[in-house]
Amino acid sequence: MGAESKTDELPFFKSLFNPETKSQKEARLGYFLIFPTVALVTGVILYPILYNLWLSLTKVSLGPSQGGEFVGLANYIDVVSDPQFWGAMGTTLIYTVTTVAGATLLGLAVALLLNREFIGRALARGVVLLPYVVPIISIVFAWKYLFNPVFGMANFVLVDVLHLLENPVNWVESPQYALWMAIFFEIWRAFPFAFLMIIAKLQSIPKTYYEAAEIDGANWWQKTLKITLPQLKFVIASLALLRWIWNFNKFSEVYLLSKQVNVVSVYAYEKAFSAYQHGQGAAISATLFLILISFVLLYVKKVLKW
Amino acid sequence: MVEKKSLRKKILFWGALIAVMAFCLFPFVMMFSSAFKLSEGQFDYPPKIIPQEITFQHFKDVFNPEVFPYFTFFKNSLMVASITAGLSVLVATFGAYSFTRLKYKGQKLIQRGVLFIYMFAGILLVIPLFQIVVNAGLYDTRLSLIITYLVQTLPVSLYMLGNYFRTIPESIEEAAIIDGCSRVEVIFKIIFPLSAPALVSVFIYAFMIAWNEYLFASVFLTSEGNFTLPMGLNSLFHTQHYIWGRMMAASLLTAIPVIVLFLMVEKFISGGLTFGGVKE
Repeated sequence: MGAESKTDELPFFKSLFNPETKSQKEARLGYFLIFPTVALVTGVILYPILYNLWLSLTKVSLGPSQGGEFVGLANYIDVVSDPQFWGAMGTTLIYTVTTVAGATLLGLAVALLLNREFIGRALARGVVLLPYVVPIISIVFAWKYLFNPVFGMANFVLVDVLHLLENPVNWVESPQYALWMAIFFEIWRAFPFAFLMIIAKLQSIPKTYYEAAEIDGANWWQKTLKITLPQLKFVIASLALLRWIWNFNKFSEVYLLSKQVNVVSVYAYEKAFSAYQHGQGAAISATLFLILISFVLLYVKKVLKW
Repeated sequence: MVEKKSLRKKILFWGALIAVMAFCLFPFVMMFSSAFKLSEGQFDYPPKIIPQEITFQHFKDVFNPEVFPYFTFFKNSLMVASITAGLSVLVATFGAYSFTRLKYKGQKLIQRGVLFIYMFAGILLVIPLFQIVVNAGLYDTRLSLIITYLVQTLPVSLYMLGNYFRTIPESIEEAAIIDGCSRVEVIFKIIFPLSAPALVSVFIYAFMIAWNEYLFASVFLTSEGNFTLPMGLNSLFHTQHYIWGRMMAASLLTAIPVIVLFLMVEKFISGGLTFGGVKE
């Protein structure tokens, strides 16, 4: 069997290095042009993923030059029996569920609002995209300033203008509120992406659907519920999936705003680069990935029904 | 009766629109006002949106290398982002041309496999990549960032260019080949010029990703001279450089290039892409 397939492969390799026909030449050029992509992806994505699995089975002592000592599943057992890990997982779940729902719904609402003719529409569209486009590093400082406990605008409005709060709150740096700030920030930042995708789909719904409904006397709500939302179902479901994958692993948006929000990605980062436990960090990120994959497969099966 | 109803509708619409605009813009307004506010005015209570006195001192400080290392960070970010974006365009053009126009074994597998990379976010790669970077002797170099960012941007770049190339009629290429052009000449003489808008968009997309990246930079770099903007500005947070007005001026200067670039290609990015369009 093995010998047979080997002889089958032989003409293939022969044609690769010594092309004769035009289609063989094309194939050789094809491999040649795709080679940089394949090499880079293998070296910088596939190999590190496998290396991460190996690392998660070792105990890495001070610095990577010394090499690890194989410890089997010890890191995973440590991770799974660590209540801090499960606390971080809970935080990640709250963060992901609320930001996915919040960003998608707000994006939907704003898309429905802007999906009509009015003066300054292009400008409004550009303004809505700003939170998504601005570099994180340049907007986190404005957020910290806005929610500063001593002189921030948020506390001024909530305490002195609206009298909703008795005392000013340290929104960004207190463990109690930091998670909600991070969620608020991420919804603000991510909703334009949902907006962009949803409004593109809205504009492709044929006008005749609405005209037919109007003849039947349907009002705005009925048209939205019976025509618009069913048409948007697939876009919204896919958007939620993409956002889930991104936010489950979210790091920079959380960590740059506040060091007090302990989602799993921050937990793994600190384990690996503050405590220098690379093996444990690797085990945490591998576990995070396994949980993410299970969610995604479940979602694809139950919600998208692929 | 009908007019009354439509007036109420109009008021509701404009009210909602203004609320959305304010929600999006408010942090930018604060950044802007703070960047021009005197240092003493930063802690006013109640806080003021429009500064009483306008100053350009913070911008002068930001550009003065003796006061603030902003220029070094800016230069590093510009270098890393431009090289990443240029390489991403080049590698992705070859790759996308290969799987949209040429036939060979494993072509479909590669095309689908590349999109699968979406699943592997930075946090899953940063620990092994750190070790690889150290062992390869690339620790604390900007090259380590360029290679990492290039690969991070490749899936979307390939996807965008692949979609664009499919809209170019193959008959143009066939005509050129009959006229005696080789495939490689076709890429440089026909595909490149015809795809200019797509190439520019891919360049800007990759540039923005590299300009924004913090996680890898925070792990791969250690000396201030190599820091990119996200890494550099964040490292100043708890130092004596942390003066609100100055940080806001720096923030503003960091944001402007990216916002201008994005607005230039917004039409193409939002029109030409639906899914998998933008990776974070």
